[in-house]
Amino acid sequence: MNRGVKIPSLPWIISIILLILLIISWSYFLMYSRQGGQTVSLATRPDTLVIAMDISDAVSLDPAVAYEFTSVMVVNQLYDKIVDYEPPDLAKVVPAVAESWSYTPDGKTWTFKIRQGIKFANGDPLDAKAVEYSLRRVLQLGKTAAWLLQQFIAKPEDIVATDNYTVVIKLKESVAPDLFLSALAFTTSAIVNPKEVEAHASGGDMGSAWLTDHSAGSGPYILEKWERNSQIILKANPNYWRGKPAIDTIIIKHVPEPATQMMLLQKGDVDIALGLTIDQIQQLKDVRGVKIQEYPVLQLAYIGMNVNNKYLSDERVRTAIKYAIDYDGIIRDILKGGAMKVQTIIPYPLLGFNPATPYYRDVAKAKQLLAEAGYPNGFEIELAYPAGSHPQEEIAQKIQRDLAEVGIRVILRPMAASEMYQKYRQQSLQMVLAGWGSDYPDPDNNAKAFGDYRIKQLAWRNMWYDNYSADLVEKAYKELDKATREALYKQLTDYILQHGPYVVLYQVIQFVAMRTWVEGFVPDPSFGTYLHLYKVYKEPVLKQ
Amino acid sequence: MTILNYVIRRIFYMLFVIWGIATIVFFITRILPGDPVGAILGPQAPQDVVDKIRREYGFDKPIYVQYIDFLTKIVRGDLGRSIATNRPVIYDIGERFPATFELATSALIIALIIGIPAGIVSALRKDKGIDHALRIVSLFGVSMPVFWLGLMLLLVFYYMLGLLPGPGRLDPYIKEPPRITGLLTIDSLLTGNIDAFFNALSHLILPAFVLGYLSSAYIARVTRASILETLRQDHVKFARSKGLPRNKILTRHIIKPSLIPIVTIIGLVYGWLLEGAVLTETIFGWPGLGSYLTRAMIYMDYDSIVGGVMVVALIYSVINLIVDILYVYIDPRIRYG
Repeated sequence: MNRGVKIPSLPWIISIILLILLIISWSYFLMYSRQGGQTVSLATRPDTLVIAMDISDAVSLDPAVAYEFTSVMVVNQLYDKIVDYEPPDLAKVVPAVAESWSYTPDGKTWTFKIRQGIKFANGDPLDAKAVEYSLRRVLQLGKTAAWLLQQFIAKPEDIVATDNYTVVIKLKESVAPDLFLSALAFTTSAIVNPKEVEAHASGGDMGSAWLTDHSAGSGPYILEKWERNSQIILKANPNYWRGKPAIDTIIIKHVPEPATQMMLLQKGDVDIALGLTIDQIQQLKDVRGVKIQEYPVLQLAYIGMNVNNKYLSDERVRTAIKYAIDYDGIIRDILKGGAMKVQTIIPYPLLGFNPATPYYRDVAKAKQLLAEAGYPNGFEIELAYPAGSHPQEEIAQKIQRDLAEVGIRVILRPMAASEMYQKYRQQSLQMVLAGWGSDYPDPDNNAKAFGDYRIKQLAWRNMWYDNYSADLVEKAYKELDKATREALYKQLTDYILQHGPYVVLYQVIQFVAMRTWVEGFVPDPSFGTYLHLYKVYKEPVLKQ
Repeated sequence: MTILNYVIRRIFYMLFVIWGIATIVFFITRILPGDPVGAILGPQAPQDVVDKIRREYGFDKPIYVQYIDFLTKIVRGDLGRSIATNRPVIYDIGERFPATFELATSALIIALIIGIPAGIVSALRKDKGIDHALRIVSLFGVSMPVFWLGLMLLLVFYYMLGLLPGPGRLDPYIKEPPRITGLLTIDSLLTGNIDAFFNALSHLILPAFVLGYLSSAYIARVTRASILETLRQDHVKFARSKGLPRNKILTRHIIKPSLIPIVTIIGLVYGWLLEGAVLTETIFGWPGLGSYLTRAMIYMDYDSIVGGVMVVALIYSVINLIVDILYVYIDPRIRYG
């Protein structure tokens, strides 16, 4: 059967129709966006803030569940917490939902006075019952971030609203006050509206499914929409107790490619770009209309050395490695200055930050130490790092070169993240190039991870079963007096600096680029956990 | 046998193939070293939390038990749960696929508009100036890295000239149409939202052109080769000697007999476009299947990988089936029986 396929006419007709459609849509777009020869975009509206970043890591905006960078940053705009931090000062906690607090001399029972007059976004009043509900909910749901509260509070019933504006919390044991307050300042401890949450509960999930992409908070913003991997839209909360924010709409646009972010920023279609590379930042430094802010973040890069390894078990070998690395070279050449030289395990600006940097590249000294340890001709060792990641790949290669000069032959082992972390947790790596971001701004987080093998974190992964260090960590954990605590951390950091299985390479400095009309944006060293976008406003475009 | 019998038989084969692929991928992902839960939760997560989540997902059970669980769930249409998004995989894919479908189909339309005429003209004017020019253009198409082309077009048309919008599917100030098919263009037409329609279309232009141009190169080359092959045959000379009108010769005697390889390549190209172009999606912030699958593979997100692979296998199988059926209509000599 012969079916004639009319090739000349039909496709041509379709093509012409499509061409016409394209031209119409193009002119529509031009009509919408062009005004007086200048592309007027959303970003230049004074009441709207557009942020470009990669939002693909967000899983849930339920405060009791949220733990990824994006989720936590967004949750912080939607909810209030009992106490809060005011970046860039991460050493002191400030009142928020709680206007004052006190604790018993043994440090185990805390009383919080709840501020009166706070309303949730829908108008419901925020009282002690809401606080009790929200914190108990975290423990009852027991999701990933629940450990922040579980480490201090044994059971939900230990959190009690004794009257409309008082909450009493009983702790398992006495802990440093700053530490407990730090856990309460994290978004996990945010206060949700019990009425709204329970109204949307299903299957005993305490409203978690609904809260994944809806908000029920008292914070400066309300979640209007979350289109996964596309955008998050926030609207100002008119009932916010500190007053309605200047920016009425915040649009967080998913722009995973830094090159695209840069185009959007320069064009003025976004106000803030989070995620540009250091090279792009250098280029933007001289661009008019764009300003850069740099700030250290609570992230340390380090080399972990497995103390069980026959070479690394000798402290002289570990010290030799510490003297073989070219720290300045790494920061200067690979990171282009985008890092702070830090060699201790508590980052700046936390309590306990130790600025000592005694190690520097000294090939002779390193060789001497190796000879003393019995390895005048060096040895072979493996260095694992996440495959295809930058700058880890370049740093690993440089370490290989630096150590080669003192006789240590490094075998590079790039691995997929899933494999590397599994092996690391199994204590089966020899040396590893890794990073540690502090979960919250209290030194205990880093101290425990690096110093206390008993909790099976970094010290344990590197098989450094050091009781002196572990005991110091636990002592500082319980220490009620701030000055004493600080002294303990000095002891700890010095001890780890000398004896520990880590070579801390640097602390990360991050950059944010924004249009010059953006004011009031204060970056947060804790990865945006305490970012307060309600303080942002835009100077009218005319003034630029 | 009728076409219907043939189709039913093919569907059975298809299900068998998809099951086979899913099984292979299932075992490969579990056997490869690495722990997805640890990778996705990150190095900071306490060990007991990692263990707890592993238990929740059933990854601590023996592999054969996991496989039986997997099979019983597949039968119910449950593709498992993604560790990265904590949602059912079928939900994730259902959310991402329309964006990819819209982009892929638009790209295919562009590829056909450019590629087929280019191939035909090239073949008919073999070795003349136009032929060389078109072949060079198509050579660029197959050689150019998609990432580079995408960024360059974005740079020129969005950044420098401001003629086309930036990344994303829709501008934020446009009211988004309700989700009926998931395709913004169709949905906005169905609900009469003209602003959204044109805005979505304008956002489609650059990424669809990038993918369309690259695909058109393959289509043009195959078209050209196939038509040249047909031109060598006697029946064309015969048709000309009979005095048939030129366009009748073109359509019925030149293009139609050449269609088999052309339809084949179009099928392959469409399949490739539908599995998601991750680089294009990254540059243009397009929330499609490609970036979803790539992320799943980087983090060894077991169920997402297996579910995603199954969907891709299904897409290719369906396209192959359609292509095979089209053969019957194109070439009367082909009969299935």
